[in-house]
Amino acid sequence: MNNPYQPIKTKILKVITETPQIKTFVLKPENYFKFEAGQFIQLTVPGVGEGPFTPSSSPYDLEKIEVTIMRVGKVTSALHKMKEDDVVGIRGPYGNRYPVEKWKNKEILIVGGGVGFAPLRSLFLSLTHNIKDYIKIVFCYGAKTPQDIVYKEAVLDRWQREFGENVSFRITVDRGDETWKGKVGLVTTTLDNLDEEISSIPESVSVVCGPPVMMKFTTLKLLDVGYKPENIYLSMEKNMSCGIGKCGHCQLGKFLVCRDGPVFTYDQLKDIPAIWD
Amino acid sequence: MKELFLSKDNYQRFLEKILSKFSLYAPLQKGDFLFYQKVSKENISDIVIDTKRAIHPLKSFFIPARRKVSEYFNSSLTLDQKERVILGAKACDLNALRISDSVYTGEKFGAEYKDPFYISARERTILISSDCMAPDENCFCNLLGSKPFPEEGFDLNLSSLEEGFVVQVGSEKGERLIKECESLFSSVDQDMIKKREKRREKAFKLLEKTNREFKTAVSYRELVKNSYDSPVWKEHSESCVDCGGCNQICPTCRCFLLSDKKVGEKYERYYLWDACLLTGFSRVAGGANPRKMLSQRFANRLFCKFYFFPENISIDACTGCGRCIAVCIGKIDMRKVFRDLAVERKIPVGLENE
Repeated sequence: MNNPYQPIKTKILKVITETPQIKTFVLKPENYFKFEAGQFIQLTVPGVGEGPFTPSSSPYDLEKIEVTIMRVGKVTSALHKMKEDDVVGIRGPYGNRYPVEKWKNKEILIVGGGVGFAPLRSLFLSLTHNIKDYIKIVFCYGAKTPQDIVYKEAVLDRWQREFGENVSFRITVDRGDETWKGKVGLVTTTLDNLDEEISSIPESVSVVCGPPVMMKFTTLKLLDVGYKPENIYLSMEKNMSCGIGKCGHCQLGKFLVCRDGPVFTYDQLKDIPAIWD
Repeated sequence: MKELFLSKDNYQRFLEKILSKFSLYAPLQKGDFLFYQKVSKENISDIVIDTKRAIHPLKSFFIPARRKVSEYFNSSLTLDQKERVILGAKACDLNALRISDSVYTGEKFGAEYKDPFYISARERTILISSDCMAPDENCFCNLLGSKPFPEEGFDLNLSSLEEGFVVQVGSEKGERLIKECESLFSSVDQDMIKKREKRREKAFKLLEKTNREFKTAVSYRELVKNSYDSPVWKEHSESCVDCGGCNQICPTCRCFLLSDKKVGEKYERYYLWDACLLTGFSRVAGGANPRKMLSQRFANRLFCKFYFFPENISIDACTGCGRCIAVCIGKIDMRKVFRDLAVERKIPVGLENE
């Protein structure tokens, strides 16, 4: 029987503590497993339950899958207690992906908030795998405090050195501390003076992922600075249970987020009431 | 479509024949209501197929309230293959299967991920439907353009007459069942067909009369468009107690939740019916909830029926069976909700059938 509800046995290779609330789990599924940036998986904590997560690792890395998870509920709390060599389950990958082939020879703006960085890291690694295909990547990211910044070593240092002029970063925190030398302010403030780095905003693409309120104000600001609704890509968060278009939990207007998303353009969603709630 | 005649006496023999070969489920009269139950020699005389729909929808036969769907990494779950017969389903019941079929087996809801449990339950079931002859005060299939008698989706359909039944053969499965006891059936004559049409018309007229005051000049699909901010949702949900009864009893509500547990050293995954009227239905981890207000959830249920499904598969996910009206302890009647949505837009209601 081809059973879509059955998870694949998956070993935890490593657990990386990113922030006090966020950990990255490095996973090795027993079977071949390939995803594309933007798609999600259902991750099972044995006996506790499943939750939908978008991998944060490069889709080109077939040796492992990394998932970056904030501790917020039942499944994620149980997951945070798990260690190297423990067994979890995964199903998927499900949903659509970022249509990166449409973004060739374009300038790309990525805007992330908090743990919303996770799918954007996968996207970033996917784009930089073929960095010559794109004119420029501007990566904006906001966290609550310096200690809430995920992938800190990469985002504050390594990536900035690695990719040179084609890639630039604008990192901000809501509240600084004595060690923080960077920008302080909401992530929307990183969108000021974008024209210093992006030569043609109406032609460029933006990708947003973060908490709903961050997505809302970021989208409004992007529209304000000249992004077209069809060029604003949003990763929508819903409580997918089955992941395969059946259970009805992730209905959004005429869409099912698991089937038609999780990546949508703002143009697709703009007429649906209460999309940010 | 092939049509045959089954006399009253032969109907009894037919049931006995079915009972000797299959598990048989049929509506049995208990007080004022009909309940689907397993038929045995003892209760076979309580079967009633020529009045109205049963209390239960058919969905429990295909999507039980709780079903084990996985034992995690061990794939030893098997599917029940035993054939069974369901007798006495009404047109509204069959129409509802179009919705669950589309979700669990169709191309529009994750074509690569058909549900093997649903598919096997459908395949091993022989559906013998029957005409609805006594729609009650909650029935409103006519308002949705449906008829009280089945037109498709059955293996056999029985239309009751004084002297027996006109039997329509709707599928190969139905044909096979007839072949097993061919001698019980004879040919129909035009007089029988005339009588059947007369009875069908009578039931339809009764529906028209019951629902005259609710008939709106435009369809429910049109009425839900751009109605998100209408005060009607709040007004009508004021007596809702958030019980989810309408979801549970609805033949087309099919939402579920996967739930895992540890049993000894093993893990099991179940799917359980869920209900979009309940607060937690759309809540995400961390607590954000796009439908915090009861009126939003109340409206959402009807948006799902008359916007989401029409947009996806071009059919309404409501068959007018009226079970949600019958079950509601807050006396909420969706016909009145739509009547008020129409009134709000100055669209005529309470129309005579042309």
